Amino acid sequence: MKKMAFGVLATLLLTTGLGFAQTNVAVSEWQIPFLNCLTGPLASHGSMYQWSTNQAAADINKAGGIAGKPVRVIGVDTANDPQKGTVEMARIVKESLVALGPVPEPVIMAAMPIAVENQMLSITGTTSYEYASKFFPWSVAWFPPYPKRFPPLAKGWAGQFSDMKQVIQFVEPFGPWPMMAEAHVAGLKEAGANVLKPVEVPSDAVTFGPLVVKALEQKPDGIIFCCNAEKVAKMIKELKSRGWQKMDHILVFSSGDDAPLYTVGGEDINGIQVYNYVNPDIDSPRWNAFKTAFMKDHNGMPPFSLSTNYYDALFMIKEAIEKTGVTGDPKKLKEERKKIADYCANVKGFQGLMFSWDMKDGGPTNKPLFIFEIQGGKKKLVKEIKLAG
Amino acid sequence: MEVFIAQVINGISLGSIYLLLVTGFNLLLLVAMIIHFAYPQVVVLSMYIIWLVLGYTGNNLLLGTLAGVASSILLNLISAPLFQKVMEKRGEVDINSTMVVSMGMGMIITDVLSHGFNKGHPIAFPDTLAGGDAIVRIGLISILPGQVYAFGVGVVAVSAFFWLLYKTRPGRAFRAIAEDPSGARLVGIPLLKTGLQSYALSGLLGGLIALLLAALLGSASSALGEQVAIKVIAVSIIAGLGNLVGGLVVGLSLGIVEAVVQGYISGTWSNVIAFVIMLVVILAKPNGLFGLKI
Amino acid sequence: MPLPLYYFLSITAVNILMSWALYVPYRMAHLHFLVVANMAISGYAAAYMVLSLHLPFGLALLAGFAIGAAVGFLVALFIGDAPTFAVVIVGFTFIYIARTVIENTEAVGGTMGLFGLPNIGGDPAVHRWTILSILYGLVLLVGFLIHRFDHSQLGRAASAAFIDKDLTTSLGIDIRKMGILLQTFSCTLAGGCGVLYGFIYKSFHLDYFTFHVVGILMTFIFVGGYTTLWGAVLAAPVLYGVPLLFPPEIASWRIVIYGALLVLVLVLKPEGVITTRFVYRVEALLSRKGLKQPPSTNP
Repeated sequence: MKKMAFGVLATLLLTTGLGFAQTNVAVSEWQIPFLNCLTGPLASHGSMYQWSTNQAAADINKAGGIAGKPVRVIGVDTANDPQKGTVEMARIVKESLVALGPVPEPVIMAAMPIAVENQMLSITGTTSYEYASKFFPWSVAWFPPYPKRFPPLAKGWAGQFSDMKQVIQFVEPFGPWPMMAEAHVAGLKEAGANVLKPVEVPSDAVTFGPLVVKALEQKPDGIIFCCNAEKVAKMIKELKSRGWQKMDHILVFSSGDDAPLYTVGGEDINGIQVYNYVNPDIDSPRWNAFKTAFMKDHNGMPPFSLSTNYYDALFMIKEAIEKTGVTGDPKKLKEERKKIADYCANVKGFQGLMFSWDMKDGGPTNKPLFIFEIQGGKKKLVKEIKLAG
Repeated sequence: MEVFIAQVINGISLGSIYLLLVTGFNLLLLVAMIIHFAYPQVVVLSMYIIWLVLGYTGNNLLLGTLAGVASSILLNLISAPLFQKVMEKRGEVDINSTMVVSMGMGMIITDVLSHGFNKGHPIAFPDTLAGGDAIVRIGLISILPGQVYAFGVGVVAVSAFFWLLYKTRPGRAFRAIAEDPSGARLVGIPLLKTGLQSYALSGLLGGLIALLLAALLGSASSALGEQVAIKVIAVSIIAGLGNLVGGLVVGLSLGIVEAVVQGYISGTWSNVIAFVIMLVVILAKPNGLFGLKI
Repeated sequence: MPLPLYYFLSITAVNILMSWALYVPYRMAHLHFLVVANMAISGYAAAYMVLSLHLPFGLALLAGFAIGAAVGFLVALFIGDAPTFAVVIVGFTFIYIARTVIENTEAVGGTMGLFGLPNIGGDPAVHRWTILSILYGLVLLVGFLIHRFDHSQLGRAASAAFIDKDLTTSLGIDIRKMGILLQTFSCTLAGGCGVLYGFIYKSFHLDYFTFHVVGILMTFIFVGGYTTLWGAVLAAPVLYGVPLLFPPEIASWRIVIYGALLVLVLVLKPEGVITTRFVYRVEALLSRKGLKQPPSTNP
């Protein structure tokens, strides 16, 4: 009897405590700034990310908001310009609890030191571990480090084909892409393949015949592309025009798995393989709803590999706020920022749109990688690569 | 040997892009005294218009072509008065003012394309535009119909405009208006009518170039114009401003140099090597290899 | 000082200085885009000195100026009296060279960039005040030098060269030496700006020094006025700062607004908003000597 009474009292206190935590919320609306590239050469990506965060905000608000209050994502255009990004971040750090972005890498490098100095978490959800980790603990990485992630992937891919003796990579010198290509090498060698001299793809290349001929001259059995999606599509067309037939012996890296790969590549990319973190065939109500809404608003185009990142990031912020009892009280800004940052850096079992994962010291530990084959513009799962925790 | 031939053909294909754009650039210079540094961006905008019309009309090539030509002519007609106003106080071609005006136009076009078309994603043209499979395929050597069209039309365009501008009465009238409107009026050349004809002519070429690039490249992005603009400017300067034949030779040569460097040395160093070669040439011959024609 | 104000002021100062770096050689009609390459070369060199060689910031800054001067001088030996077109091509060539060398050099971060430049003086506030002091000290110093140049015999010679190089030569003015001087000066300035620019961001990335920067600097000079140093002083803060105040829907069209402004100003007021005549009137007003006919400088 006493035990039962004690249990009821404890439950009552806990519930009341939680209720107090919720009723202590000091904001009428959670405003989360998102430093995004809404204009410029990456505007297409920026609009996708913005759509995803707006969708997340709508879904959160439909379910009651964050700690009972609605959330609004405020899009702040950095225009891929560090001059603008820094001023915008400087404005944001004054009062914001947490931020999303910046996008892309030049703005991250210029603006994140401001977030670090002011001890505010800004989730750079679409950049590599190698960039995000420079700003720990005031950013979190959405991807594991390259040396951990890519060797098993490359080995898993090459290991499918017993005739794959020589592999060549096309590498565009942008940001972390050369490092990603470098990280493939260990896995390819483990799979028993000889890694040929990579072909560098100039960023302003408009035709690709010379590069493709240079690659084919080395007589590769397999090809990995580490370039932007449009260039990949054009190079695949070029390969086919020169007689390349083993389409599944072509692997496109995750950053190349983007809309232009499909729109420019058309039927010519049937049979190639790509890898990324998003398995579109997962059957879950949340993902199905997201996918349907995305396709409706993007002329039938399915979501691409990075389109879920900021959706999940906003939900992670929601969870961090609710689980740590953050109130949004400006007087507690510093301590509440730290609470959110600490929570996100080491959250366990975070339920993303497609799967759950753990974070450890700012980086994910158990996110799977998927290899797909493309047929008719759709991805078919070939292999799941599970990374060691 | 097979590889070398393949690279040279690749180079000619790349050079055809420069050749077409430089020809349009030089034509504007010869008929209107406009140094249009954003000419490639104008052509890319026409490509986007072609894409839009093809999309709405179920890939009707004729309508797409007409739309491309019409948009190019319209852009010329809109921008020409701006250039003329800027240059009216100068007795000769003013590179600085016209360059900056055209840079401003280029900025506008590139940003509008990245904002307003296809949500900023690159656009893709139907494969049928490129004319189908390779005409020739021997080992690594491959020649596509689009490459043949681009090169062929480029050479024909240079020849045709050279003949028109230097061997015919209307061509001389165009050049007279461009060089000295007052003098042209004095000798009885109708300024407005002839001026409109010259802009229409360069617009026609611009639309055709847009179509050919669509066939050759198969896709376009908002940044495409900026990517080639610097090389187009460099080619026209190295060849000699306004020199049609020079533009053809230098454009093709640059394409071949780039292709050979990419094929045998390095992809990322191809721009550097190409520009260093051009730099050496321009220092040795400041008026261009083939001389100024303005 | 509010943080947004610090970034606005520091970046505006860099924009003013870089616009002047373009303005000075343009006084004799040279569009010297090499200055953008100089920013990158000196900036990365200085960052390497600080991060890898652990040299103090002051020494790295001086080295940045020196490297800019050396590069500018060596190149100017070949293009001091070259036609405008050649100077333009040189600029583009060196931008390509600088970018390609940097992206292929692991020691300066390659394509990833250089992270983690330290605070000057070890403290963020000291860092910011130091950067601002150096920048605005430079603005005052360089502004003074350019003002003296504009009102000197050398400045008048440059104006003559802008109009007609051959005539200027026939008057006994050594165009080549003048070109070398002006180009070296502008590259020295650009070198220092490159170092300071990176230290504002505490990082370096290749995309800080793109062809886009050329377009922005040209906008500042031509909209502000290319016949006087005051043009950049007006245009840089206004064209950079006003879009920051726009609501997001309008701010996203910033580049279109820049482009339209550039075209409009050149069509309606080709010399830019601030002209020499205007400056002279203001100077005359300030000196209370009444209105005088301004000396003819640029057309």
